[in-house]
This record gives sequence, structure tokens and C-alpha cells, in this order.
Amino acid sequence: MLNLSGISKSFIGVQALSGINLDVRAGEIHALVGENGAGKSTTIKIVAGVYKPDAGQMEFEGKPVQWARPADAKNAGIHVIYQEFVLFPHLTVAENIYLGHERRNRFGFVDHARTRQDASDLLRKLGVDIDPQILVSELTVADQQMVEISKALVHKVKLLILDEPTAVISGREADLLFARLAALKAEGVAILYVSHRLEEIFQIADRVTVFKDGAHVATKDIGDVTRDRLISMMVGRDLKDIFPPKKPKGEPGKVVLKAENVSVEGRVRNAGIEVRAGEITALAGLVGAGRTELAMGIFGGLPMSSGSVWIDGEKVDAITPATAISKGVGFVTEDRKGQGLAMFLDVAANISAANLSAVTRNGLIDRRLENEIARKEIDNYRVVCRGPATSVATMSGGNQQKVIVARWARTSRKVLILDEPTRGVDVGAKTEIYRIMRGLAGEGIAILMISSELPEVVGMSDRVVVMREGAISGELTGANISEEAIMSLATQHPTGKVPTAEVLAQ
Amino acid sequence: MTALAPIRLSSRLRANQGVLVVAALLVILLIFGAFISDRFRTTSNILNIFEQSTGLALVSLGQTLAILTGGIDLSVGSMISLLSTLTSGLIAGKVSMVLPVAIGILLLGLLIGICNGLLIIWLRVHPLIVTLGMSAVLQGIVLLYSLGPAGSVPPSFNFLAYGKVLGLPIGAVFILVLFLLVALFLRYARLGRYIYAVGDDEVGARLMGLPRARVMLTVYGFSGFCCGLAAIYLTSRFSVGQPYTGLNYTLASITPVVVGGTLLSGGKGGVFGTLLGVYLISLLNNVLNFMDVSTHYQLIAQGLIVIAAVSIYVEKKKRV
Ligand SMILES: Nc1ncnc2c1ncn2[C@@H]1O[C@H](COP(=O)(O)OP(=O)(O)OP(=O)(O)O)[C@@H](O)[C@H]1O
Ligand SMILES: [Mg+2]
Repeated sequence: MLNLSGISKSFIGVQALSGINLDVRAGEIHALVGENGAGKSTTIKIVAGVYKPDAGQMEFEGKPVQWARPADAKNAGIHVIYQEFVLFPHLTVAENIYLGHERRNRFGFVDHARTRQDASDLLRKLGVDIDPQILVSELTVADQQMVEISKALVHKVKLLILDEPTAVISGREADLLFARLAALKAEGVAILYVSHRLEEIFQIADRVTVFKDGAHVATKDIGDVTRDRLISMMVGRDLKDIFPPKKPKGEPGKVVLKAENVSVEGRVRNAGIEVRAGEITALAGLVGAGRTELAMGIFGGLPMSSGSVWIDGEKVDAITPATAISKGVGFVTEDRKGQGLAMFLDVAANISAANLSAVTRNGLIDRRLENEIARKEIDNYRVVCRGPATSVATMSGGNQQKVIVARWARTSRKVLILDEPTRGVDVGAKTEIYRIMRGLAGEGIAILMISSELPEVVGMSDRVVVMREGAISGELTGANISEEAIMSLATQHPTGKVPTAEVLAQ
Repeated sequence: MTALAPIRLSSRLRANQGVLVVAALLVILLIFGAFISDRFRTTSNILNIFEQSTGLALVSLGQTLAILTGGIDLSVGSMISLLSTLTSGLIAGKVSMVLPVAIGILLLGLLIGICNGLLIIWLRVHPLIVTLGMSAVLQGIVLLYSLGPAGSVPPSFNFLAYGKVLGLPIGAVFILVLFLLVALFLRYARLGRYIYAVGDDEVGARLMGLPRARVMLTVYGFSGFCCGLAAIYLTSRFSVGQPYTGLNYTLASITPVVVGGTLLSGGKGGVFGTLLGVYLISLLNNVLNFMDVSTHYQLIAQGLIVIAAVSIYVEKKKRV
């Protein structure tokens, strides 16, 4: 279906792809893996007509093709679900789904009733319960991803490309996606699937291609590789321990961040949590369980309808992010593009953004000092970039994530909250972020990590607080931490009934 | 997740609460006006308000679409000056010239607007810059053509500004029809939808293969066309065009758009809000007139209204 040979692409100063080959057949799920910055997204954008290759041939359905613009690729039957969604926040779910394929009546006018009806049918077919009339900006990230996926089902596509679709969804939603992909595969659609989650690649892919540093390493039938082999092909070395050793048993750390009775309108009710110095506490639960909202409420980023917060034993009234930061609390948000990075500033400016006073001399920003710090952090986190002056907008997703962790790790003297810290980060970089988190904990900082990846929660945390439907459903420590125990706390309903919005609103 | 879904009021309606505020302000001003003067309440005064708002409504309509795409048209003022000067200059008092000149002016407005659109597409420069440049060019051209009022129009030409159909001012009726048509276009035409999409996320629109070029040509072409309409109307109202007729309209045309709830960053809003904004401003000026305050205060009041209105619409950031 799709055949790339010898494709090269460079950006100013970066050779993103050097002569890669890739073939994707009709009726297969072809996984594409590689470290952050390996060139996966760039390849996709070439296939989608967003970038023009510097060299090489692209064949689609056996014919050589050259796209002048994304619309050409789209008309040829290629649909891409990008790493950064393409959703229009001020349009409704239904309008987004049918954008470019508007439902029209006999006279050629947009038929709103049918758009709504078809969208609701489509979402039901996908298995999700999303109101098609709601504005996309009001959806959770997971639901936005499901809307993004449903767009691929609107019209017949020949090649479907997904760039890290499961970065923001988990469990049930991921299963829904896989079921849909299996159905499309059976219909003969070619599927190119990029992901850093190796488990799911072994679960759904037929073949896998590995890229490293913009070059093609290997293409294999999935049955012919093991997980370890795949990892060593990706990172170019053997990775033995992904998770650093945990805090040795002993005295639990001192409670530095404490919240009681926190409620956030419609999202969290009466939740309490304690985060201890020197420990990594995980906040686990299904996507949408209210973990982000709870943490944001405590940080002062979301209005709490009730609740009290203590930082280092001192009660903080009417907390705002500014007071939280001044008291040594940092927050790495889950949506790095929207709330985290200043995309047009460079790495150095982004790293110092949360604490400019540290690089200010006589009222002016000392760029030399700023760059020096940035260089140190780039080394420390092994950020792949051209140096402190690289604009973060041009960096790969995983490397952007390292920059933002570096920023907050510098300013948070007491508590660091990380929301999905390794989303979209490759195994190699993940190991580094884990190492750094453990190192910070070792220095006595209290770490609160929100994560939907169970292996990560189990591998990293000294203590796990599980949320379900907006409330705390349990806490696990030490040897009690297991995937099964977390899942059962995250899903079980003691009353056997799913609480409704009204119950939660109380 | 379903259990936690927000209350299912129509999202749109909630998002547009601001328009209700403007409508409420309108009502308050009406009641206030009725209190301070008996003459305010007369039908003729109300019709007068409608009449006075026609020119502003026309320009703001085009401006709304430009702003919806995340752009702006800063050339409207000079365009109106040029087109209205040309209107009276070319008609030069001859009845037989009225129709051909009017058609020509509308086409010229459309053409200038399309030029704006083409430059925006080709040069990939922000519309602010392109239209600002265009504004200077047009102002220069009209001053080359005439340094003062040019030509004249036949007396019957003032029918457009002061004439009535079924007892209602022609201009006001025309405005209502035109706004309705554009509202329907935005809601029911695919291109209307794309205007919102481009304003919401321009890069996204490109990735989805939406016709950005067509959108730009349409909105700037339409804005030019609206300037043509406004120019003809104003010439009819003042009986002659001169090189500074449109001077105030550039900024004035943005006010009702913003007051009406359209986001300056694009992607959200609509023409209905703009119309309310136009009426609100015209009404305000009228009430201030009755209060016998000087026009300087009218300016101040307008400025305050803009700032107040915008603060209502600022999207309350959900997080940090
Ligand atoms: N627009 C751009 N300008 C400059 N450099 C770019 C641009 N886009 C990508 N790059 C560079 O090209 C390389 C490949 O990036 P790409 O986004 O394809 O990586 P990736 O494999 O998708 O990584 P990730 O897993 O983090 O998403 C990186 O070094 C990146 O910094
Ligand atoms: Mg990528």
C-alpha cells in the first residue's frame, strides 16, 4: 500500500531522516518504534504531505506520488491521527468529527440534525459515551483522543496512521481502539502505528519497524522479536533496569503536603491525600477519575469548593499557583503543549521560566547564566537538541517533556507534582526521568506522580493512592502495591452501582 | 467518566452568555433613555437610531468575518473614504450614472478585499500588516484623486439613507436581511464552518486539508464588499463623499464585534452579537445626546464599554 525508499529530510541544522525505508501492506498493523527524536513523526508528516522529503521515493498503491499539500494525501485516502491532536476547541464534537465531510441536505446546506445523529451513532459504534453537542474544549484529553479516533471512521481510508494514540488513553478506551483497528485491518486497511508502549505493540502489531537517529534499523515480523531485543535495537544498548531501586524500608517520611476534604465541582469529592518527604507517592486510577483535578485543586490551579491544604505543616488558605510555587511546590502538567511549555521560546528560557529570579542579576536576565544552567540540565536529562538556544517547538515530544521536568525539578524545594511525566517518552528517556525522580526523592523532596501506566506506578512508587469516580478509593504501600490491587481499587464499586453526576455533585 | 460529564446544557448557549449581557444592557439603556426624555420614546427617535447604525453595521459585518478567521481588516476606513469619494465623484450629479457607478463601487470594494486576501495568502504575513499597508495605500490614492469633497449626487440619491419601506428605514431593513443571510451562511454553508475552523486552529485546518485560501478570499472579499455598501450608504447620507469619510470606521468597526462576543483570536462568535453591539453603541450615543453631554464623553463612554464588554468574554482559564 505504502512504500518509502531512501527518504531523507533535514530541518535547519538537524538531519531528521537519512534515507529511511518503510513499507506498509494492506490489511496489516505495522508498528513503528524508536526513541524520542528518531524521526517517527517526521516520517508520518512526509507521508501526510505536511513536509516534502529532500530525497527519496514514495509510492502509494503502487504508484509514485508526491504530495503538494496535506489535502492531496487526504484525498488519496490517507488519514492521520497526529501526536498533537487536530481538534477545534470552539466547535462541537459532532462538528469536529465531520469537519471537511459536512453532512449536507439536498440543497447543499449543512444538516445539523444529521451531523449530530451520525456523530452520535459513530461514537456509539466506537463504544464511547460522549455528547456530540458538547464543545471539544470541555472534554477530557482522553475523550478528545476518542473524538480524534472517530474522525478516522467517517469515510473510507486506505491507510490509517496513528502517532502515539494511546499516550492519553488507557484501559477500556485503549481496548476500544484496538478492537476498531482490528476491524479496519480485516477490511483491508493498512495501519501504521507509532507507540512507545511496547506491550501493546506485541498485542496488536503484525510487523514492527525500528528507527534510530533518523535511520532504519530493522523491520521484523512481530513473532520474530522479543521485548528486550526491540528495546536494544531502539536504544542501541541493553537496558537492564528500567526502574531505579525504591526507598529502603524504614521510617515513613515526614508529611510535607497534606490536603483534606478537597472537592472540585463535578470532578472530585472529599478527597484527602498526604505526600511525604523522600517518597514517591503515586496517584493512580482510570483516566477521568479526577486525579489531575485533585492535584490541580491542591496546587491552586482549579477552584476548590471545599478543602484545606497544608504545606510543610502550615495551613495555606486560598491557595493559588503563585503561593504554591513560592512555598516550594512544582507542577508538571499533563498537557505540555497547552499549559507547560512556551513553544516559541528556547530551551534555556523554558527551563528558567518558573524561577526567573534565579537567573536575574541587577534586574536583568543573565543569559549567560541561563544558558549555563540549561547546558547542565541538557546533559543531566540527556535532552536531544542543538543546545540551550533550540526552540522547543522544533523538538520531539519526549525531549520537550524532559525540558519541562527539568524546569520544575529546579524550583521545587519541597514537593514536585508530576502529571503523567513519561507520556510520549521513549524507554531510554523514561529510565532517565525515573532516575531523576528517584534522585530528587533521595534529596528529600516529596514527589506526587499521577500516572495511568500501571507498570510505572508499581515500579516507581513507595505509596499508591487510588482514585475512583472523583473519590479516594484506597491506599497501598510497600509490598501491597501490585497491578491487580490497583486495578481493583480503581474499578470496583462497593455498592455495585455507578455513581451518577448528581451523587457526585453533592 | 460518563458520571462526571458536565451538565448537558447546550454548550454553545453557555459559551455565549455574554451576548445575553449585551442584550440586557440594551434593554437597560432603553429604559434609562425613556426616563430621561419624552422625545426619546418617540417612534421617530427609535427609527433614527436604526438609521444612524446602518453604516457601522455594514462595516462591522465584514469585520466580524475577518476577525472570526483570527485576522482583522484595518483597511476598511480608507476603503470607505476612497469608495465614497469615487461614488459622488463619478456620479457627478447625473442620474443615469447612479446605477453603473454603484455596481462599479461594489465590485471595486470586492476587488480590493480580494487583493487583501491574496496578499495574506501569498505573503503569509499577518492580516494586520497586510491590511494596515493597504489602508495607507488607499488613503494615498484617494488623496491623489481629490483633496476634498468630490462631485455630487442627484437629490433623489438620498433615498437610500432616508427612504422608507412600509414605514421603516430602508437601511435598517436591509441590514436585518443582510445579517440574517450571513448568519445563515455561517451556520449552514460548509465554507461558513471553515471560517470558524481556520480561526480556531490555523495549523490544524491546514493539516486537515481545509481550504484556507478560499476562506481568506471570501472573508476579505466580503469585507471589501461591505465597505462598498457602507460607502454608497454614507454618500447618500451626506450627499457627497470626501477623503476622510471613513476615517473613524476602522476602529469603530472593531468595537461592536468585540462587544458582541466574537473572540479577537478568532474561532468563536457570530454576526448576531455584532448587530447587538452596533445597536448598543448607537443607542448609547443617542441617549448621551439626549443627556446633552458633549461628544467627547461619548467617546469616553464607548471606550469604557469596550473594555467592560471584553472583560466579560475573557475565557475564564480553567487551569493555572
Ligand atoms: N519543524 C522542525 N524543525 C526543526 N527540527 C525538527 C522539526 N520537526 C522535527 N525536528 C527534529 O527532527 C528530529 C525527529 O523528530 P520527530 O518528531 O520525527 O521524532 P519522533 O520520532 O516522532 O519522536 P517522539 O517519540 O518524541 O515523538 C528531532 O531531532 C526533532 O528535533
Ligand atoms: Mg513523534
